[in-house]
Amino acid sequence: MARFAGGKAPFVRASEEKDYGTKVIMRDVMIALLPVILFSWYKNGIQVYIDGNIGLLEMFYPLFFILIGGFLSVLMEGIFYFVTDKENRSIKGVMQKLSLSFPAIPGLILALLLPLYTPIWVLIFAAFIATIIGKMIFGGFGHNVFNPALLGYAVVGFTLMGVINNAGGLFNASEAVVDAYAGATPLGKLASSGQINYDTLVAPYGSLWDFFIGTIPGALGETSALAILFGGLYLVIRKVIKWYTPVIYVGTIFVLSWIIGAVTGDAGLWFPAYSILSGGVMFAAVFMITEPVTTPTNVLGKVFFALFLGVFTVLFRFVGSLPEGVGTSLIFMNIFTLPIDKFTAVIRTKRFKKPGGLYLGILTGLLVILAVYTLVKAGAMYTVYIPFLGWVI
Amino acid sequence: MIFQKAKGIHIEGRKEACKKIPIKDYLSPKYVYIPLLQRATNLKAEVSVGDEVKIGQLVATNEQQMNIRVHASISGKVTGIKKAWHSSGKMVDSIEIENDFKNQLIETIKKEENVDSLTREQLIKKMELAGITGLGGAGFPTHIKYKTKAKIDAVIINAIECEPYLTCDFHFITKYPEKLLKGATYFMRAADAQKVVVAYKTYNYQIREALQPYLSKFPHVELHPIKNIYPAGWEKYIVEQVTKKTYNGLPAEAGVIVNNSATAITFCDAVEMNIPLIARPVSINGEGINHPSSFYVPIGTKVSELVELCGGYVKGLDPLKYNYIAGGPMTGRAIFIDDLIVNDTLGAVIVKKASEGVYPECLGCGKCADVCPVYLTPTEIKKAFERKDVKLLGDLNANKCVECGLCSYICPSHIEITEAVAKGKDLLRKGAK
Repeated sequence: MARFAGGKAPFVRASEEKDYGTKVIMRDVMIALLPVILFSWYKNGIQVYIDGNIGLLEMFYPLFFILIGGFLSVLMEGIFYFVTDKENRSIKGVMQKLSLSFPAIPGLILALLLPLYTPIWVLIFAAFIATIIGKMIFGGFGHNVFNPALLGYAVVGFTLMGVINNAGGLFNASEAVVDAYAGATPLGKLASSGQINYDTLVAPYGSLWDFFIGTIPGALGETSALAILFGGLYLVIRKVIKWYTPVIYVGTIFVLSWIIGAVTGDAGLWFPAYSILSGGVMFAAVFMITEPVTTPTNVLGKVFFALFLGVFTVLFRFVGSLPEGVGTSLIFMNIFTLPIDKFTAVIRTKRFKKPGGLYLGILTGLLVILAVYTLVKAGAMYTVYIPFLGWVI
Repeated sequence: MIFQKAKGIHIEGRKEACKKIPIKDYLSPKYVYIPLLQRATNLKAEVSVGDEVKIGQLVATNEQQMNIRVHASISGKVTGIKKAWHSSGKMVDSIEIENDFKNQLIETIKKEENVDSLTREQLIKKMELAGITGLGGAGFPTHIKYKTKAKIDAVIINAIECEPYLTCDFHFITKYPEKLLKGATYFMRAADAQKVVVAYKTYNYQIREALQPYLSKFPHVELHPIKNIYPAGWEKYIVEQVTKKTYNGLPAEAGVIVNNSATAITFCDAVEMNIPLIARPVSINGEGINHPSSFYVPIGTKVSELVELCGGYVKGLDPLKYNYIAGGPMTGRAIFIDDLIVNDTLGAVIVKKASEGVYPECLGCGKCADVCPVYLTPTEIKKAFERKDVKLLGDLNANKCVECGLCSYICPSHIEITEAVAKGKDLLRKGAK
């Protein structure tokens, strides 16, 4: 007779196989970031070097900047683990904990969200907010409420935007010499002028095709929809993300922007296309609203989350003081991940029976009210007379 | 699609090692231990120490609850009531019988003359007297199923065996195909049904090949292939696939009764020869076994003897790094001491590597909710259980969990989520009272 090991059923686990598990999922996310990183290096380094505006060493700066973002967050998590582990403080223990908390990803995404000439000390500050405040204080991987990278970006965006702009900001060396840009990114122009006009919003930067390829000014990773779509396609094929989350999010923004454009006088499809291709919409759609920890778990939750997020993004773009609505809306919606998860789980099991029908009614009602409010608000902002909505406001 | 019904997933079978070797009979162990426990019901011993018993003699009963009857599986002398490890994970009192190797049968075991004229009531009575229980794993007394008032259209024979490693039903069917069809026909008559459906996995095409030659003699039998996925052997899944109807409580609501294939073969013997349930097939499988194979053994046989017949454990096996699993690997139970006995629900014993290593926290990927065959949201049930929120557990239908184990299987972070949901189900049951 022999004493055998204990354990709980099932005794066959997919996670014990080689090519499956959380580590593989996180590796896939890094692989999916690769086209974005490479494009950003091409656009801000290689192309500028070919134009002759920077030297050879400077060519590597964008790549270096992104990698240092990843390195910083790893370093900070390592230090955090080393400091907090009072019982048996050892390098080996820290390494083991790091292997389970995937520290590089927030740093990489953070660097991709920031403009090229962000001072390194600002990057260090942002990485500190992202990893220590955004992730480790909450209890590490799997417990954070806010998307860590986004929290770092938002804090820096609110407090240090002036510093970034003074240091060279959103333009790479080639873009800085183009007069037509007039010192603003496409979304910045929309916020300052408030006019839906093809000639001021799209024409200075080329055509919508340039928006899609990504050769417009903007933060490091967010400009190229093409590179992001490659990464997203990889993630969908590897079953890391669900295809419908990004599609619903982008679709909501597309439809709402189209209606806003139409009621303010320009029904062309260029405006909704411009709306989804400028700013961080594409990047957020693929890499941030699908980030599993801080977004709802089940299918219905993901659908509602994406719908709400789309409405809020449009709302904040037109009513907020910041040009970018994506980050603010995502931070805001992160707070509601837990209740959405709970409500949609009950709807899943109870359907229209009590209390599922009630929850479904609350969620849909809120969504409709918000969407209508957004349309009214955005329409009013353009000082265009809207007869059928005039009495509502 | 977004709202598609969960349809199970493919799990690697790992059956080939055991499938190659035909089933062996091992009918005369030196000792058997008949457990005085069946399906969480305690039984009363009908024999005392020192009695001589014959094969098929009644040794334990519980008349209050569903009239459970257990019979001696070998002939010999009752030498004591001893504790033995049972597949429920506990040690239970068992009747120890020492084999006299005379193989004396009790007088009632004889050929039934007028098999074709037996009425529905007589067939159900035979079922009850023979102590037939479901050999698939739940061990529900079969006669209860047939005492239904509902109109039954078809009897479904579950020949699927969807869990990895399990091969005993496969071997049993391919060895006794005609008995299976006969037993199924008696089931059909016991339910006043019109037809029999044998549901098998497309992967086990040998079952179709074995049954095909007899089908001309049994025109009311149809074969129904089912996809090679888990949990295809789940009663509700089969009923939905075969009848396209669903039900809430019992399959009888959809007009069918589901029985395991090994039960049908046992019932064939019970009708034609009046042999009660005294033996069943068992597979011994897993990476820890030298030559995995299946056996047809009397109930109460020690599994350690079967392991010896398989060539023992692999060389240099460190027991503390291996699991000794009673039942299938998806729903079975880890037994600490390898002193298990074969009872009526034990279909397999699997010795395989225990899981080791450290895994990350839950990342909220939602794969567990995607695979759940009853549409639950395991992560939320786990959270509600940790907060002891009984009302929320009710809203989340925690009682609907069938404990198939898919959520733990698919979890990329190796979380014991099936266990948490099962605990939530228990809490809801206790809290609701």
